[in-house]
Amino acid sequence: MRKPVSLKIFLAVMVLLIFFWSVAPPLWIAISSISTRTELYSKPPHWIPHHPTLDAYKNVLIKGEGFRGGGGISAARLFRKGILNSIIISVITTALVMSFAPLLGYAFSRLQFKGHEFFFYLIIGIIALPGWPVLIGLFSEFSTLGMLDTKTGLILLSFTFRLPFETWFMKGYFEAIPAEVEDAARIDGCTYIQALFRVSLQMVMPGLIAVSIISFLSTWNMFAAPLVLTYTLKSKPLTVTMTEFIGQYFVNWDLMSAATIIAIIPPVVIVIFFQKYIIRGLSAGAIK
Amino acid sequence: MLVFAYLRKKLFTKNKSMKKNLSEWLDNKQHLAFVIIIPTVILLIAFAYYPAVQSLRFSFLKYNIKQLSRVRFYGLKNYRNVLSDPVFLSSVLRVSYFMAIATTTVLLISLGISMVLNEKFPGRSILRAVIIIPWAIPPVVNGQLWKWIFNGDYGALNGLLFQLGIIHEYQFWLRQPFIALNFAVFLFVWRYTPFITILFLGVLQSIPEQLYEAAKVDGAGAFMRFYHITIASLRRIGGIAVILTLIASFSVFDGIYALTGFDEATKTPMIYNYEVTFDMGRFGKGSAMAYLVGLFLILLTFIYIRMSFKKEAE
Repeated sequence: MRKPVSLKIFLAVMVLLIFFWSVAPPLWIAISSISTRTELYSKPPHWIPHHPTLDAYKNVLIKGEGFRGGGGISAARLFRKGILNSIIISVITTALVMSFAPLLGYAFSRLQFKGHEFFFYLIIGIIALPGWPVLIGLFSEFSTLGMLDTKTGLILLSFTFRLPFETWFMKGYFEAIPAEVEDAARIDGCTYIQALFRVSLQMVMPGLIAVSIISFLSTWNMFAAPLVLTYTLKSKPLTVTMTEFIGQYFVNWDLMSAATIIAIIPPVVIVIFFQKYIIRGLSAGAIK
Repeated sequence: MLVFAYLRKKLFTKNKSMKKNLSEWLDNKQHLAFVIIIPTVILLIAFAYYPAVQSLRFSFLKYNIKQLSRVRFYGLKNYRNVLSDPVFLSSVLRVSYFMAIATTTVLLISLGISMVLNEKFPGRSILRAVIIIPWAIPPVVNGQLWKWIFNGDYGALNGLLFQLGIIHEYQFWLRQPFIALNFAVFLFVWRYTPFITILFLGVLQSIPEQLYEAAKVDGAGAFMRFYHITIASLRRIGGIAVILTLIASFSVFDGIYALTGFDEATKTPMIYNYEVTFDMGRFGKGSAMAYLVGLFLILLTFIYIRMSFKKEAE
């Protein structure tokens, strides 16, 4: 179908608008992060900085000047510990999801066993559990178990709450590949486990990658649970330490902008490189 | 030495046969499934179901963590207190407005963007990656990002409107309650639109182009084609999208927390629930509120799960 010129122009305008809508806000933060303080606090704003500088990044990563939070913690310490905690929590959670989700998906799609329905709904039911009732109970449970303010607690929590989604998705991916390939492997003398690892796992690999990426992103982005369950730098993730740049009366917007850019680099890089997997993972979640 | 070698041989073979036995025992659908499922179920009960039951128990107690010595049975009083709390009731009204505006806007914008992305143009795959960015950045960071843009002293929004001559002096947007609430809605719309767009795009791309051409041959105008083909094929996913957006807009916490904190103007039940429970330490009342609010969410989620499964069965 050939398009008339007017339609082409309309399309081009829309494309530009959509592009602007998506990138303008982060782009403005990027510009703010390389502006000097004088330029940052100018009216009207300098849309393009005249004297770009990396001072805010140096401050937030190394020097930590210009900010003292509660207990005299410097911005750099707050930020560096946050990044480290976020990386540890997200990587371990993702690794756990990657090792459990395929097994669970396999069990629910291929193995007939007693209690199949019951266990499936027990796991999927977690999706319907609202956040606050669980978090309030979890706070008291963690404080009894001594798991408050630990990375282990956060990892177990985010793993527990990712698993139902990922089991559901992986079940769908397994059902999409023919069972005959496994039957053939069985005839060749493989056990179920061997058939899974040698044959089917490769075929659901794209699905597994999608599921892992979504898990990583959602763990990296998690905020309410760590806000409630952590209170020192030992275990606070980046999302929580970043909110502390906002003081009661004054916000260091230069530090804030640099911190924001660093915090969104991992998700943005992942989106750009794994776009197809993310799209697949997201649509698989809503419609099987 | 000989004895040692003998023992080692014996142990080794025994070990091997044990290993063999184990792998034989595992090669049974029932056994294998249980070995896979039981650890998960233990985890889910320990960190999801059990705490949920705990807070249900709290909801019947007078329980303030700042006065632990005074914990006692309270019956349904917490529930009554929540339902007669004017702050809670106004937060419910507020979130109803939030959900209505957010859901309508998200659906309309997603429809527009997905229709553009469904056309062929150079750079389409780049744009498809770019539109996911708002969804991928942490919601709380998203809140801070917009807080800077809406800033009353030096914000970009003020600068832009000032330079365009729309306003003559800088405004403290977030201090005006109704504007603050609508900006909070906007934040959610910006973040959630990509997700719904992707769902719509998936469906649009599965519509064969011949269908449009055939309709054109039959004399259907652009609007008829849009209505009878595009909208008709999006109907089912549209229902799922509405439910998902309702759930998500009701549950917003991170973005509002970063944008306006506990400010009255944007206090939704989620924010108020956090404030009552963890800021004031009133675990009993907080739990009752969490359950009242939770029942509504559970209902929506069940509708969503049923709709998704229905689609699967068809």
